[in-house]
Amino acid sequence: MAIEGAEIVKAAAFIGAGLAMGLGAIGPGVGEGMVAAKACEAIGRNPKEAGLLTRTMLVGQAVSESTGIYSLVVALLLLFVV
Amino acid sequence: MGELGRLHQLIIPVFGHNITINLEVMVMTWIVFALLIVLGLFASHKRNILPRPIQALGELIVSLLYDLTEDALGEELAQKYAPLICALFMFLLLSNWLGIIPHLEEPTKDLNTTLGLGVMGFLIAHYAGIKSKGFKAYIKEYFQPIFFMMPLNLIGELAKIVSISFRLFGNIMGGSIIILVVSYLTYNLALPPFLYGFFGLFVGTIQAFVFTMLTVVYISVQVK
Amino acid sequence: MELEVETVIKIAAYTGSGIAMGLGAVGAAIGEGYTAARANLAVSRNPKISGDIFKNMLVGQAVAESASIFALVIAILLLFMDFASPSLLKAAAFLGAGLCMGFGAIGSGVGSGYPGGESCFGISQQPQAGSQLTTNMLIGSAVCQTPAIFSMVVALMLIFIDFGNAPLTPTWAAFVGAGLSMGLAAIGSGYGGGLAAGASCEGIARTPQAVTSVTTIMLVGQAVSQTPSIFGLLVSFILMFKTFPESSMLATPMALLGAGLCMGFGGIGPGIGNGMAAEGAVRWVARNVEHSNELMRIMLVGQAVSQSTAIYAMVVSLVLIFVV
Repeated sequence: MAIEGAEIVKAAAFIGAGLAMGLGAIGPGVGEGMVAAKACEAIGRNPKEAGLLTRTMLVGQAVSESTGIYSLVVALLLLFVV
Repeated sequence: MGELGRLHQLIIPVFGHNITINLEVMVMTWIVFALLIVLGLFASHKRNILPRPIQALGELIVSLLYDLTEDALGEELAQKYAPLICALFMFLLLSNWLGIIPHLEEPTKDLNTTLGLGVMGFLIAHYAGIKSKGFKAYIKEYFQPIFFMMPLNLIGELAKIVSISFRLFGNIMGGSIIILVVSYLTYNLALPPFLYGFFGLFVGTIQAFVFTMLTVVYISVQVK
Repeated sequence: MELEVETVIKIAAYTGSGIAMGLGAVGAAIGEGYTAARANLAVSRNPKISGDIFKNMLVGQAVAESASIFALVIAILLLFMDFASPSLLKAAAFLGAGLCMGFGAIGSGVGSGYPGGESCFGISQQPQAGSQLTTNMLIGSAVCQTPAIFSMVVALMLIFIDFGNAPLTPTWAAFVGAGLSMGLAAIGSGYGGGLAAGASCEGIARTPQAVTSVTTIMLVGQAVSQTPSIFGLLVSFILMFKTFPESSMLATPMALLGAGLCMGFGGIGPGIGNGMAAEGAVRWVARNVEHSNELMRIMLVGQAVSQSTAIYAMVVSLVLIFVV
């Protein structure tokens, strides 16, 4: 069975997409969890500011999720464009 | 095991395109609607200062969800959005619980249901955002912190729809697959009732709450 | 040298068995070691009740061990299975089963060490809350085992179900991918569930009267932390039961393998993160019981947002399976 170059590229792109999203999901997942844990601590210390803390947590998580979004973009590019 | 992933579908050809309707999901959704309407009628029928149990239950749910919306959105907007949030939560709760009745299935097991609700939440949140901030300020937010971040911000917003709807779908579908497989492996002895309790009632309630909370949060992030 | 089918299956089964038991022993060993270390500290603090602490340590370690016992069961099955209908597909399924169980036991093993250790330490601080601590520890570490149980279910299905004459070329990758997806995704959820359970034992030792609120929020937090492993299970079921048309291309099996890897790795981080969020919430419910509602709400929102990367991973792997 002869394997052509183009096919190897395709196969590599699929594996690469999987790894990009899979490994890329680890960091944001842990980081956002840390944010949530600290937000819980902050609410435990100062429950009156719950609304403000929730919003701060969401903004922080959104920023730390951006690397996850980059992985998603790269994975989708590998799947559909390459 | 063969029934895994099979659906009853109605396919209508219209001008060369096929419109596919998942009959089962549609009927199940109607059942949930009917249950909700009946429940609402009973809860609001012959209202009294001294509430009957069903009226008390209805008041409890509504006031809990109202407080929740008010905490996140403030009093003014809560008046507007609380009915939506109540309806969303009750619909999701009953949908997730429907699977514990034999021969009925959760409508939320179908991606179309959850995706539809996710898109609805997204549109409402952005409508609320445009209305409170004005169109210019709304567009400006996409170009933060620097202008070339626009495509990534846009994808980040759209990814919210994906994450909210796939979360509900994945949890409910995963739970029902586990129940199906375990009942197959143990010949329907012992475990399934416990699993129905865990995945149907417990996870179903949590996920309905999470979906509702996230919709509220998305609205509040857009508004403020 | 041409290998016979039986030989290939034997090779795969023995390799899978080694992977299952070797990786499966890692987690439980670390977890039990943590329990024992905390128990030693507890005895040095309060030597008078060393008997109670010792009993509690043994119970905790027995539960933490169950993940590696699942791995042992799978390893022994793989060693001594009889093959009724030898086909190369079975070889891939055995390898997948070994990977699934081996990775799947790591998280639950490490995780369920935390409640054991914290409850031992808690007993030394609050001897009168001993029975509550033991009960809470048992509940917490039992829920911690859920991802390992999911992995065992997938491994058993890969071993026992007769997949008939599905085409070899893409299907082998689907089986290995199914094992990787479930096994890797179980690491994060098991570990995260353990973090939550450990914090709850610590919290009950601090404020024994808050036991109901603490246990409730622990269970909710753990249930949400299981989500990434449920996604892993979903993807591995699709990989096992979808019939793939035969193809001689290299790209098709690689896409299925990539789908498994994507969901597997993608589940690790969110699982741990969700556990951390639950840990923070449980710890502060014990310190501030009146505000447990606010804490529960922010925990759920925080966990839901930190799951989103696992969901992106699931979407990418579904695209790899269905679209490509």
